Amino acid sequence: MGDTLSFFLMSWLDPSLLILTAVGTLAGIYVGAIPGLSVTMATSILISFTFSWDVNDALALIVGIYTGGVYGGSRTAILLNIPGAPSSVATAFDGYPLAQQGEAGRAIGLSTVMSVIGGLLGTLVLASVSPFLADMALEFAPRDYFLIAALGLLLVGSLAAESLSRGIFAAALGAVIGLVGLDPVTADPRFTLGSMQLMGGIHYVVVMIGMFGVAEAFFQLHQLDTQPVRQKVDKILPSLSLVLKFLPLSIRTSLIGVIVGALPGTGGDIASLFAYDHAKRTVKKPSKPFGEGAYEGLVAPETANNAAVGGAYVPMLTLGMPGDAVTAIIIGALTIHGLNPGPMLMIETPYIFWFTVGNLVLANLFLLLFGLTGIKLFAKVVELPKAILIPLILVLCVVGTYSLNGSMTEVYWMLGFGLLGYFMKVFRFQMGPVILGVILGPLMDKSYRQAMASVGNDSAAFVSALFTHPLSLVLTLAVLFLLLGHSPLKRLLRREKAA
Amino acid sequence: MLKHTLTALALATGLTATSLAAADYPEHNIQGIIQWGAGGATDNVARSLTPHVEEALGTKIILNNRPGGTGVIGMNAVMHKRPDGYTVLYGAENPQLYPIMGLADFTYADMQPINVIAQGLVMIAAPADSPFDSFQDLLDYAHQHPDELRMGDTGAGGLPSTLLAMINSVDSLKVRSVTFGGDGPGITAMLGDHIDFMPLSLAAAKEQIKAGRLKGLAVFTREPVDGLPNTPPITQALPDIAAYLPWGPFWAVAVRKDTPEAIVDTLSDAYAKGVANEQFQRFLSDNSAKSLNLQGAEAEQFLKRWQSVTAWALEKAGSAKVSPESVGIPKP
Repeated sequence: MGDTLSFFLMSWLDPSLLILTAVGTLAGIYVGAIPGLSVTMATSILISFTFSWDVNDALALIVGIYTGGVYGGSRTAILLNIPGAPSSVATAFDGYPLAQQGEAGRAIGLSTVMSVIGGLLGTLVLASVSPFLADMALEFAPRDYFLIAALGLLLVGSLAAESLSRGIFAAALGAVIGLVGLDPVTADPRFTLGSMQLMGGIHYVVVMIGMFGVAEAFFQLHQLDTQPVRQKVDKILPSLSLVLKFLPLSIRTSLIGVIVGALPGTGGDIASLFAYDHAKRTVKKPSKPFGEGAYEGLVAPETANNAAVGGAYVPMLTLGMPGDAVTAIIIGALTIHGLNPGPMLMIETPYIFWFTVGNLVLANLFLLLFGLTGIKLFAKVVELPKAILIPLILVLCVVGTYSLNGSMTEVYWMLGFGLLGYFMKVFRFQMGPVILGVILGPLMDKSYRQAMASVGNDSAAFVSALFTHPLSLVLTLAVLFLLLGHSPLKRLLRREKAA
Repeated sequence: MLKHTLTALALATGLTATSLAAADYPEHNIQGIIQWGAGGATDNVARSLTPHVEEALGTKIILNNRPGGTGVIGMNAVMHKRPDGYTVLYGAENPQLYPIMGLADFTYADMQPINVIAQGLVMIAAPADSPFDSFQDLLDYAHQHPDELRMGDTGAGGLPSTLLAMINSVDSLKVRSVTFGGDGPGITAMLGDHIDFMPLSLAAAKEQIKAGRLKGLAVFTREPVDGLPNTPPITQALPDIAAYLPWGPFWAVAVRKDTPEAIVDTLSDAYAKGVANEQFQRFLSDNSAKSLNLQGAEAEQFLKRWQSVTAWALEKAGSAKVSPESVGIPKP
């Protein structure tokens, strides 16, 4: 116990580790806010810098970057409708409308507090039930990932605001975009039109920046004359009663975040979409209708994506298996530093676990501190005249995309998706389902084929496995329930009952 | 006439410029392109090695991951940069199989190898509660129950499918290939008993075996290896496979083919020093990789042999999409 506490407090008491965590968190917020500059990239660049450092210094810095970066994505999502990272896509749904109504400051303030709550709850789960959660995550067979992907694609019902058919079309488009590249099984090129550049597929961030950022910038050209809304910047910190009101929802969405984050095949991006859907289903009287600036629509994804950070550390610390791209890089870093990431990590280097938990708590406290500063200045961005704001957004989109892989081809694709997104917006298509499809399409493709190969390509065996394994049965029932809920069958049944 | 003179002049100045550049090389930062993603084996090798090379060269090497298309994207990017030694490729073994997988028409033979860094050891692992204790057990079971065992795979051209092809060129192992995104997801699936066995790099499996969560069925060598004394070599079950050994994935550094010789020499020296560095050597042995540190003709010979052995084993097992003969790969 004494050891646990001293490991936990390592970074709290050591000034240099304390400063590194703080610097990491601050840097993470601003790196994460720039679309294209991802936490993954920031961490991998840092590994090179920290090569000659002490491993604890490197780990403290990375925890800060990770925590700050996941949160930072919400800034641009709220202010400009450009999610800084895929895990902030759902934040834009209600965050951007809030900014348009002059509540950018409040939205950022609320998202900061909620991110910290999510981050702390995620860390609490990591600290208390890691081994149990890791074993549970291992239970997920390929067919279960297939069911999760199916469940995720059904979220289209929540994300498509007015027209379900438009939503389905957009999600299908996204799924096809996600399938471009080499077939993961046979390595045959799919939809690459003979181009070598397309063999690596189309990065979903390229689609995201184009469809959200550029399309929004073009769309704003319609309203060049309208005066930007004056931002109310007096009440930034959400009142305690407001936070308490959202507490039950934030606990539920944090749990979604930490579980989805702990699954090695899924991360914060999928978690935040699930959480948004959960809020939309369970909150009967939101502060404003969902999609028009509901606080609940902001609370759910923001708690979930930060809770997913704690979740991603679960398989990494207990099994040495990455929970997402960032923890994969941390594992690489540990290897380079001569540690052996694996199930023995907690036995050979017992301090790592509580050191990381301590760092996560610390990083979340710094997040609260830094996240609540500079909001007034940021909120003013929305008040900029359109003639300045629109070129600024376009430059940000181009720079962000180029920095992704240093590839001009991806910049052209991003602009192409921007143009496509603009016309889709004109014809009242939603962008959310496209991103949903891009993220989940490949997961569904991969896991379906894994599941089918596991049973020797026997369809009957595949279907029966969906009902005979307890975990799969739960997921299958959830899929069927959702499917029926969306279909006219439910209405028919209700009508019959009424008659 | 004027045009000719101008061309000659341009060529002359161009040449002087290049030779001058070669003399002062390196004048500024070098770009290092890694053909696999962050956190993977190739990435780890590149990031551990580079600081020591930077020291020898006296300049910074800025590393960038350009993953995708089994590494085709990253290699293609380097091949489209100027041949001035300012862009180097950090690659794995995959390019040697591009032509027979129909992925691209280039290999390391179309580049100037700078260093073949090291070769990884390979093994076949199974979940800890697997009924099989050695590869022989597994093979016997598979002979009686073909197409029943689930093997973790990483797609065509990946390590497991290549290994399976090698086994099938000397014996018959009929399995259900379940494709994962890499060693990591495959091991995770094996820890949950969702697959029965998987060929893996020793570096990826070592910690899980040490912890008793996986067990080794065979190492892909002629002799048992350090650290896994109880895992039998593959030759115990399949003596004929010895013809392919030693075999394993490798990592190499290369630049464009027309890079001036002086620059190639400078780079070769620097990388040779970097690979020989004590700290990097410790990294390699920690990761169960055999240091090679090959340059020039030796490197080219290694690359050729690896390609010919692997490509013809794939052809023999019927896994090559394009015959090695038709793309000019000689028989081993």
